[in-house]
Amino acid sequence: PLPIKSEPTRPAPRSRFRNAAIGLPARLPSPTKETAPNPPTPTTCSPICCLAAAAPHPPVPPPAPPPLPPASAYVHLPFCRKRCHYCDFPIVALGSSSPRGEDPRITDYVRLLLREVAATRPVSDDGGAPLETVFFGGGTPSLVPPRLVAAVLDALRARLRELVGAGVNRVSLGVQAFQEDLLRACGRAHGLEEVHEAVGIVTACEGLQNWSMDLISSLPNQTEEMWEESLRCTVDARPTHVSVYDLQIEQGTKFGQLYTPGVHPLPSDTESANFYKIASKRLSEAGYHHYEISSYCKPGYECKHNVTYWQNRSFYAFGLGSASYINGVRFSRPRRMKEYAEWVQNLEDGTWSHESGNSDTKEMAMDVVMLSLRTAWGLDLRSFSKSFGKSLSLSLCNTFKPFVESGLVVAMDVQQQALSPSDFELDLQSEFDFGSRAAFIRLSDPDGFLLSNELISLAFGIISP
Amino acid sequence: MAGAVALRRSARRIVRPLATATALSRTLQQAERLLSSQASPEHGPRGVVSASDLGLYTPERIRNFSIIAHVDHGKSTLADRLLELTGTIQKGHGQPQYLDKLQVERERGITVKAQTATMFYRHTSASNGPDTPRYLLNLIDTPGHVDFSYEVSRSLAACQGALLVVDAAQGVQAQTIANFYLAFESNLSIIPVINKIDQPTADPDNVKDQLKRLFDIDPSEALLTSAKTGKGLEQVLPAVIERIPCPPGKCDSPVRMLLLDSYYDEYKGVICHVAVVDGALHKGDKIASAATGRAYEVQDVGIMHPELTPTGVLYTGQVGYVISGMRSTKEARIGDTLHQAKSTVEPLPGFKPAKHMVFSGLYPADGSDFEALSHAIEKLTCNDASVSVTKETSTALGMGFRCGFLGLLHMDVFHQRLEQEYGAQVISTIPTVPYIFEYGDGSKVQVENPAALASNPGKRVSTCWEPTVIATIIIPSEYVGPVIMLCSERRGEQLEYTFIDAQRALLKYRLPLKEIIVDFYNELKGITSGYATFDYEDSEYQQSDLVKMDILLNGQPVDAMATIVHNQKAHRIGKELVEKLKKFIDRQMFEITIQAAIGSKVIARETLSAMRKNVLAKCYGGDITRKKKLLEKQKEGKKRMKRVGSVDIPQEAFHELLKGSGSK
Repeated sequence: PLPIKSEPTRPAPRSRFRNAAIGLPARLPSPTKETAPNPPTPTTCSPICCLAAAAPHPPVPPPAPPPLPPASAYVHLPFCRKRCHYCDFPIVALGSSSPRGEDPRITDYVRLLLREVAATRPVSDDGGAPLETVFFGGGTPSLVPPRLVAAVLDALRARLRELVGAGVNRVSLGVQAFQEDLLRACGRAHGLEEVHEAVGIVTACEGLQNWSMDLISSLPNQTEEMWEESLRCTVDARPTHVSVYDLQIEQGTKFGQLYTPGVHPLPSDTESANFYKIASKRLSEAGYHHYEISSYCKPGYECKHNVTYWQNRSFYAFGLGSASYINGVRFSRPRRMKEYAEWVQNLEDGTWSHESGNSDTKEMAMDVVMLSLRTAWGLDLRSFSKSFGKSLSLSLCNTFKPFVESGLVVAMDVQQQALSPSDFELDLQSEFDFGSRAAFIRLSDPDGFLLSNELISLAFGIISP
Repeated sequence: MAGAVALRRSARRIVRPLATATALSRTLQQAERLLSSQASPEHGPRGVVSASDLGLYTPERIRNFSIIAHVDHGKSTLADRLLELTGTIQKGHGQPQYLDKLQVERERGITVKAQTATMFYRHTSASNGPDTPRYLLNLIDTPGHVDFSYEVSRSLAACQGALLVVDAAQGVQAQTIANFYLAFESNLSIIPVINKIDQPTADPDNVKDQLKRLFDIDPSEALLTSAKTGKGLEQVLPAVIERIPCPPGKCDSPVRMLLLDSYYDEYKGVICHVAVVDGALHKGDKIASAATGRAYEVQDVGIMHPELTPTGVLYTGQVGYVISGMRSTKEARIGDTLHQAKSTVEPLPGFKPAKHMVFSGLYPADGSDFEALSHAIEKLTCNDASVSVTKETSTALGMGFRCGFLGLLHMDVFHQRLEQEYGAQVISTIPTVPYIFEYGDGSKVQVENPAALASNPGKRVSTCWEPTVIATIIIPSEYVGPVIMLCSERRGEQLEYTFIDAQRALLKYRLPLKEIIVDFYNELKGITSGYATFDYEDSEYQQSDLVKMDILLNGQPVDAMATIVHNQKAHRIGKELVEKLKKFIDRQMFEITIQAAIGSKVIARETLSAMRKNVLAKCYGGDITRKKKLLEKQKEGKKRMKRVGSVDIPQEAFHELLKGSGSK
């Protein structure tokens, strides 16, 4: 017997949405800024993610020391109709046949998931903070029947304390492109028509004003015109959030066999960088804030769940291949179903437990730098100095100094207003004065973001020579 | 020999269970005797050649000779066969190329270090009648390559004759000629040995003609052998005894000997190879060095048979080893005369001192490994005193060493030994030669490191001098055209153009040494399908129009890349260098200008545009570990680079520049 309630506690989605799945590679998030104190009913629409809202976050919280109990949970729902050609996520391709009733692969998996939730010990016994966000990623979360999604939410509530007025209040649509040819070439399970249909459904859904659209740039044979068109269509659809991913060719994927990065039909580095810049320009013009390397939002609509990651705060994770960060320890679950099931068994038997780590300070500092520099808020120098020492902060700033001059890095004051390179330099002249003006450093948009790997690995070299 | 040791060891193992001590020792003695009589039929148990045995070998019964040959003409195999024939080593046991002990020697089929071996041989001849006197033969193995002519010359100084080995199919080659002249100038009796006559393409008559034409050697003197099949080998040692004179020393004079070589042994200390010219040397004798005046007591003395075999004495004309408590090989100067202490003797004519013709900077690939590299170099130079080493510092590469080598092969071999024997990872700078710059004010500098030469000295350079070589090239005649082209591109001056037989031509050129030190030989091989053989000898300095060329990255000179080039070739070389660097330097977060400049004048320029993008804009959920790994890998990559100003230079860029400075 399934420990799943037979009826969802919330209204079931209208049946016609059932098959409107738009496959999406693993998925996204975004915080609601308390716009809906009583979150709307869940909607299953293709790629779905949901979160329950709590108090709004200030835009620039300090990186919390990891021992704070997690207030976020990630739940992996790995099912897709088929695997897209670029995808290397841990997913289960169901195929196009839709069995009558529920697919046993899904129910079996959700049963496993519920066992994991039940076997997970909450980090704090006194309850601590309740979960503030729950993010269903995939896969194509909307392929999981709402009844089962609701069961997962119930289990989380039972185990990890109250979710304030839990319900699905944000979804993302994995649209990826607005060109039929490109969708086909990616091996997407949907066409353009389904895209428009899904957008229609989402926007018609009352109480679901918070939704995200995902796009991928640098697809094979993608032209600048196509990219402009996709951005135009995106803006026209008026999502509150847009995620723009740059195609990564991963080993073991179909694209990995077919293509070499930088070589036709993939765009050159220059063209690809240009796509990135175009997106930044067009979306900014349309009122979106480029708040993270691949994320844009209307004011206040940051993906609250993902902000947890970038602020290096801890989070639970459940499901195949998912990664959690609890008690300062990062742990990735097995990516194969069989091994994942065995792992859940061990968790229940008590033969496996989350170790509580005393992580290495250097590793912590690298995590903070790597994550914060992905965002527009950047690295909080004062809090970084407090955690890791002023001299390390100063070394980082000195390393970035030439790039502040060349415009790849921006120094900002407490109000997040940009400082001139000369003001920044003044600040660096003595360790005593250091920090009197500069409070944050961030990578510039779009040039600094485009070279983030270089800049961050440079910082790594300072933290851990 | 190695085989004999193993056998003796296993004999011990077999008898060990045999109980009582006396029984054991008796059995052991029997086993030893049995084994050693196989190994060395002429004497008692091997390893025990007594003083009285050695005393039998007066100079008339001694022959000291070496084998000289072009690479691969069979020198080492012939040496192995002679050692077997005399029972010095056992056939089928031990390693082939017995005397080539270094890995680099075995791999390349070359000899780098001189080695000696003493053999005993019973000689039957018509003149002796029924008497078959025993002879003591010292084979003094020499490196074949001209780079090691330093080693060759000191080996030859202890010999009275040489076997000149020539491949029956390939005929005389460049090194044959160079080696012949070295031996000829040392007044050695030369026995031509035409080897590898078992090959289907062997043409011994043609080789005889060549020997006649080139060296005026009577064809009837040539021995025909196959060291591989053993054919003709029986004539070799009789010829050595009959045709090579005995060593000329005076038996009743105070001892005087030539220091041939030295090496450091962890357990025994410094071991010197010596040739006793006059008198006799006994254990316990006091000897002194003519060069340093320092005195030593002989702790151990013996012969190389072929391993160290103590005899307690060495007599006039004999070659062996001496251990005398020297602490460092630096005390054992090759070519020095060791003599009876408290007596004044005339030093023997010394060897040519090592002349360093090629210099290059050696730096640890990873800057933090300086100590390890320093240690490795120190150890290696203990056994190769011909390398000069001084510390130097480069802004690009950090702390390192400027090393002087005898030549290209020597440099190569040194690098290889550093890596193979000491596991050192090195970056070496473009090799250079010792130039001489004379200034208007009369001052003069020898430049062993181009970076050390001021780019803007503030005074006029009046004359520049560069070392030259006389190169000998032997090629099938159809390749003469391209080879002449190559030599003239390399600023060569033709000195000779003759045919050594119907198909083969001999070219002699004077070439600036700098032009041949990087890629000349490879190119020569390339354009002649591998048929060319090449050798060279040092020649005098010539006046030349030289300039220092700097390489600048974003305006900063990279000291380790500075070179001295001929003015007329500067533009071309500069262009090639900057193009090559553009290929091997990765794009960075800013534009990089790569320039070649002479003084303040830029002669070539390339621009490497800034990197466009390096970002991971992918949905990765909360799984940041993979992304972090990627960034850490990138960080490690940066760490391996060498930095000049803000520009990171990959190590490969230095290696690539070395592969050919583009004199093409």
